[in-house]
Amino acid sequence: MAVIKDIAAIAKGMSITLKEMFSPTVVENYPDGPGPLKGAKFQERFRGVHVLQRDENGLEKCVACFLCAAACPSNCIYIEAAENTTEQRISGAERYAQVYNIDYNRCIFCGYCVEACPTDAITHGHGFEIASLNATSLVYRKEQMLAPLPAHLGSNAVFNQAETETGTPAVRS
Amino acid sequence: MPDVNITVDGKKLAVPAGTLLIEACKSVGIEVPSFCYYPGLSLQGACRMCLVKIEKMPKLQTACTTVVTEGMVVSTEIDEVRQARKAMLELLLANHPLDCPVCDAGGECELQDMTFSYGAAESKLIDIKNHKDEQQWSPVVYFDRPRCIMCYRCVRICGEGMDVWALGTANRGSAQLIMPNHSDYLECEECGMCIDICPVGALTSGAYRYKTRPWEMKHVGTVCTHCADGCKTTLGVRRSPTGMQIVRGDNRDKSGINGDFLCIKGRYAFDFASHDHRIQQPLIRREGRHVPASYDQAYEHIALRLKEIREQHGGHAIGVIGSTRTSNEESYLLQKFARLLLGTNNIDHHRTADFPSFAGALARKKDATASMRDVFNAPAILLIGNDPTEQHPLLAWQIRNNVRLHRARLYVVNSSPIKLRRQAASFTQIPAGSEPQLAAFLAGDDSAANALASGEITREALAALRDKLRGEPNLIIIFGSELRGSSIDSLVRFGAAISGAKFVCLGDYANSRGAADMGLYPDLLPGYVPVGSGARFHEEWGAPVPTEPGMNLLQMVDAAKAGRLKALYIVGANPVARYNLDPFALSKTFIVAHDMFLTETALLAEVILPAANAYEKSGTFTNTCGDLQLLKKAGDITTVKSDFEMLLRVADRLGFDLRQLVPFRQAERADLGQSRGAQSGEADRHAIWLEAHGLEPKLSPFDPIAMLDEIQRLVPGYDVSRVELLAGNDQHTSIEAGVASSIASQPELILPANDTLFTSGTLGRYSRTLNSVIENPRRAPADKADREVVV
Repeated sequence: MAVIKDIAAIAKGMSITLKEMFSPTVVENYPDGPGPLKGAKFQERFRGVHVLQRDENGLEKCVACFLCAAACPSNCIYIEAAENTTEQRISGAERYAQVYNIDYNRCIFCGYCVEACPTDAITHGHGFEIASLNATSLVYRKEQMLAPLPAHLGSNAVFNQAETETGTPAVRS
Repeated sequence: MPDVNITVDGKKLAVPAGTLLIEACKSVGIEVPSFCYYPGLSLQGACRMCLVKIEKMPKLQTACTTVVTEGMVVSTEIDEVRQARKAMLELLLANHPLDCPVCDAGGECELQDMTFSYGAAESKLIDIKNHKDEQQWSPVVYFDRPRCIMCYRCVRICGEGMDVWALGTANRGSAQLIMPNHSDYLECEECGMCIDICPVGALTSGAYRYKTRPWEMKHVGTVCTHCADGCKTTLGVRRSPTGMQIVRGDNRDKSGINGDFLCIKGRYAFDFASHDHRIQQPLIRREGRHVPASYDQAYEHIALRLKEIREQHGGHAIGVIGSTRTSNEESYLLQKFARLLLGTNNIDHHRTADFPSFAGALARKKDATASMRDVFNAPAILLIGNDPTEQHPLLAWQIRNNVRLHRARLYVVNSSPIKLRRQAASFTQIPAGSEPQLAAFLAGDDSAANALASGEITREALAALRDKLRGEPNLIIIFGSELRGSSIDSLVRFGAAISGAKFVCLGDYANSRGAADMGLYPDLLPGYVPVGSGARFHEEWGAPVPTEPGMNLLQMVDAAKAGRLKALYIVGANPVARYNLDPFALSKTFIVAHDMFLTETALLAEVILPAANAYEKSGTFTNTCGDLQLLKKAGDITTVKSDFEMLLRVADRLGFDLRQLVPFRQAERADLGQSRGAQSGEADRHAIWLEAHGLEPKLSPFDPIAMLDEIQRLVPGYDVSRVELLAGNDQHTSIEAGVASSIASQPELILPANDTLFTSGTLGRYSRTLNSVIENPRRAPADKADREVVV
């Protein structure tokens, strides 16, 4: 009887092995996959590198209210505000962020900043490959996080939704 | 007044008759919300937020306009009241734009707070809100109409408080709006009180607009560095590449002697600190040009030259000029440096009032000086000379509001029709320059009236005024720099006959009284002790100092011209411009200047050291009334150092034992807080506790508190409570001369600053805001005729 029991167990185990062999793979083929994400897949809600959004007119949504900085538990957001002028209009309201830095050495990707934002200006993108051997390069400037201008507003770069979602730096050094 | 018994929310309380219901509630900790009610201003009853239920009254009543009556039963926390508050808020928010993220008041907005406390965050209204574009009313005042909730606070503070009446209202109903006196621009004193008192962000400040948010700044309550009134200004400080930047000034901290008040200089004229022309590093002149040098090179150069001159020509070949804007500790250190280390009594400063004569006249009189707070409470005030509205805005505010709120009697005697005459019970215009005769006349010299009487002012009228003043107990006598020398004696003799009379001598600049008290005189040691009789100081300092009076400022310049003065050490002063000196007279002299800017004087210097201003250091200031207050450092700026530190570094290079200059020592039980919680609040309280027990750690010679120690020990009148001082409260010092008769005053050296509301000596030139107001083509003072005469 013992022999039959053993054979049954092996058959049961091998059936799982064989079943999995012919079903599609669950493991992501990162980093050898195709596309800008190199095979990585994300849930919609994944909290990656921040993206600073623009409104339908291409103006920055951020009005430099500092609420994200106030909400931030790791104190990694630094903002300097300035006033829009008629000659130079950056955001939709009176004030805009002249400097907007996020220190990714400190950021814990908790999403409080996104929750605090009254204008939906800051969102989490899906950018995640930010590890670096140089800590100073982890302080991201506004230009690195800003969503690209929509193509119909004169931006030469083709509007690339995937790149916006990844949150990869718009300006690469 | 007899007490009235009332019941509020079941609590029984007795309050004096005549108390407003809102104040009565506040006294037992029941908060009745309100926007338009503001203590000290007239009642408005405009916002309807303070509605409460009073028994036997058919409708809800406004607590801010209801006076308590016997047996009143009040409910503030019933549903009816709550519902009313919520409805009021909803109405206020009907047209209020919800742009809180952008609004400057966001985070310190009373409407925000109320909405959080009392609800009504959602609106039933679906119509589009009324909108009007923002207006700029003056270089410093912006108005955002839709945010306004019509509480009239700005209208009342401007009219009643400031006596400017530049704001009013137009239209009715939902179209009602606040309007400036010239429909689209303000013609006013630009004090910015309307901005500070605005409960929402309708009035915003041109200097601070959209720069940062309230919670992003550090708030430091310190003393304003402009006029001599010593208002407390709260500086909003934020990080910047240079260390710190001041982004706003206001009176958030109302504990100062100024209460609600702050003028344009205290509120906006901090911007000189971040002016582009500030000297960023020491400069040494080589081959006719100022070239940047390191601090070490500069100290070495100064020490080498001073040592050489002292050895070859003696101390009397060196002169020192002090500042009216450095702290007491720095002034004291400077005169000690000059007398002890350089061996000279050639020390002077820009004198703006005759404080030595004042001290001499008050010798051996107790409690004879009035504090700034006294001016607000005195039953009667005599003002001789000066124009406080321009030169002493806080003093003018105190006088004005004393008259308005306490029915004080104000007697003004002036050579021009100054604005304060509008509050005066009696205004007497006397010929220009005849103030000394007035003092003599008041003191009993009837013949002096000849010079005073003219036109309407008859001898009888003058005599009547004198009789009236003699019958005013507790009179405060305030006089400007028009009275000097023996005239002050006469005035003090006149005051001595009045019971409880007190005096205020008006000088200009933030710490000119301190400079005088700290002995920046060639013939006087600190506390107006003649140099010949300073045994106490010699004993404490442990070395003899010269006992012959030295040269005053003008004599020093003459000596420099003649080649007898070889070196001149100038700290934060601009005598070349102020006294209109001939720059060539100083061309043969080795000059060291501590300054923030390349002023006319600094340009002549061989070595220029970049100095920190009063907002960048700690110490104490004495205002013109003699109120001692603590300076709190707003923050450190890289590249500049305080005068205190630089003087000590030079002394060190001269080979002097610093312990002899600054009495710092190894503290026996000094605990700097390391063993305790690192929270700053605890460290502060700990410091105060140490102070109170005489255990303060004085481990560093750069700690000005160590110097304050010596000042409090040696300078008469400065032995005030240290705990109160460190806690940020003003402490009144008395002025006492060591030996009254021996003070030889030199009235000819006194040069009043004659600043207006918008100028502030050399410093004012570097304030963008002050310049923008001066250059504003639409600005013409409301009372222009009055002002042109005074200057």
